[in-house]
Amino acid sequence: MQKDTRARLIKDGAIWGFIVLELIFFSVAGHFLSLSENAFMDLENMLLLLKQSAPIGIIALGMTMVMINGNIDLSVGAIFALSAVVMLDSMGWAVFAPLGDWVIPISWALALLTGMALGAINGLIVWKTGVDAFIVTLGSMLGFRGLVFMYNGEQPTFHLNWTMVDMAQASVFGLQTPSLVLIACTAIVWWILNKTIHGRNVYAVGDNREAAVNAGIRVGPHMMINFVIIGFLAALSSVVFYSASGSVNPNDGMLYELWVITAVVLGGTKLTGGKGSVIATFGGVIAIQLLRKGLGHIGADTAMVSLVIGSILIVVLYLDKQLNRKGAEDLKL
Amino acid sequence: MKIRKTLSATTAVAAMLGAGAAFAQGPYTIGITQNNVGVDSYQTTYEKAFIAAAEKNENVETVVLDAGGDVARQIAQMQDLIQQEVDAIIIWPTNGKAVIPAVREAHQAGIPVVVTNSNIAEEGFDFVSSFSGPDNITQGARAAEIMCDRFKDLGIAGEAQIVEITGQPGYTTAIERSKGFTDRLPEVCPDVTLLESQPGDWSREKSQKVMEAFLVKYDDIDGVYAGDDNMGVGALNAAKAAGRAEDITFVGATNFAVGYEAMERGEYWGSIYQSPVDDAEAALQTAIDVLEGKDVPFLNYFDTPKITQENMDQFTKPVF
Repeated sequence: MQKDTRARLIKDGAIWGFIVLELIFFSVAGHFLSLSENAFMDLENMLLLLKQSAPIGIIALGMTMVMINGNIDLSVGAIFALSAVVMLDSMGWAVFAPLGDWVIPISWALALLTGMALGAINGLIVWKTGVDAFIVTLGSMLGFRGLVFMYNGEQPTFHLNWTMVDMAQASVFGLQTPSLVLIACTAIVWWILNKTIHGRNVYAVGDNREAAVNAGIRVGPHMMINFVIIGFLAALSSVVFYSASGSVNPNDGMLYELWVITAVVLGGTKLTGGKGSVIATFGGVIAIQLLRKGLGHIGADTAMVSLVIGSILIVVLYLDKQLNRKGAEDLKL
Repeated sequence: MKIRKTLSATTAVAAMLGAGAAFAQGPYTIGITQNNVGVDSYQTTYEKAFIAAAEKNENVETVVLDAGGDVARQIAQMQDLIQQEVDAIIIWPTNGKAVIPAVREAHQAGIPVVVTNSNIAEEGFDFVSSFSGPDNITQGARAAEIMCDRFKDLGIAGEAQIVEITGQPGYTTAIERSKGFTDRLPEVCPDVTLLESQPGDWSREKSQKVMEAFLVKYDDIDGVYAGDDNMGVGALNAAKAAGRAEDITFVGATNFAVGYEAMERGEYWGSIYQSPVDDAEAALQTAIDVLEGKDVPFLNYFDTPKITQENMDQFTKPVF
């Protein structure tokens, strides 16, 4: 019994332990290998890390909900790109020209609506056809990406508005806009998952769909709402990122779904659903960004970073499997 | 990591020699964020040449980064370099427009930025100290002249039909070469028709597929202009497989070893000779000149001459 509790503690705290380990490693290694005179653990560097985590992080919050729900969404990268295209393109529409800079909130709203609409399409298909979400969103991943290319061919969509860039680069107490959005979204999604009926249902449906149906949860619409939420968050992530860069390539956001899923899985959310935590996902996102940044800090190249993150993911899943074995006798650490 | 270790070693040596060094300032720390090192041999050779040039100069330390073709990662790398307080940043943009706000951040932090190889869009010029690289408009124009001269020699300048395979969309080099080519061609050969342009993304495989599609679509193709030799050879391979390579004049840009060899075999007509070693050394020198307060022209071009089967003996085979 006591061993059980200990195992759970190790498991739940694992991601934070991992982060501490990374920090120690990169601080020590950076001391010898980095050319920079600033320490790795420098406050500014950590604030920058939080900001750079935001694009993947915001989407990962939604992915946590969808995965606890027992589904998955592979189309987030394409939604990310399409929302950006809508946002940047709409800023140049003649209809909005008299508005001046007031076009910015309207374009943001259009982008967010795009994300929600695309999420609703995913959710509706999953609900009405009963086809596995993996297949549905694999299809929409390709389909939405096709829309991105149809919109503007292979050309980038571009609109540079310095007011918007200044807003995206603004900061409060050293936290830049993307960091603030990430923190706020984490708090809100945490609240939804832990304090609302919808949130409890997310776990119930993911744990045992049949039991959830028997308990009177309308599983179809319930799942659709979650797809709308992740669509919204993918679009929000896009708004935050592209407000600061002002240009989107049709290939942008490719492989984002995989980075997002990696972060969520690192945070301990089960691929089979029913279990997971948004705070641990936040940890997973930070852990990945720390690895990227830390390996860059000590001078490893880009290919090396992918190799290391991939290896760690497999090790984490292996450890997770070991810790989840029933009975302490199977526990090998 | 290996690079970094060697660099730290040279740094240590430089520091020891520092007392007797002739330089008034420095050593300078120069950060570079490149586009996509592994993707083709030009960029791989560029990186090697850049590191070699930096090692030779004991007054310079470098932080060498690669964005892997990812705009988001390049922006993050720019922010990292600003945070590390390097003395100057060299950027090989993944996207000539999306990096402008990040370049502005560097400018606002008082760090001079040198753009290398492919320029950023005009909106960002205010935040850049200098651009070091090839003149891609001229390269495109010269390619058009090579193509036209060849058609005149063959006596088909009055009716020739050509296709174009461009580089990665959104990439300034691709846009400028295409513009230089399509603007110059009607001036020198008004009766040559450009049937279609499609992007080959700097990739030999993609370009081969694009050319296969062209060969199915058009029965009469007399010439192919490719945004670089890598793509040109991809197109050549597609034409050879279809048995139509003999009738087609292939002109590329950035002469690669594969292009040079194809020219030796008489299968590929011409290209533009551009050395990544010159490119890398020019970028580093431009950054150093900016730091030393020298007068640097805003557009700091290095020369890239025409190369065809007729004059190729004057050029050594590219190493990449």
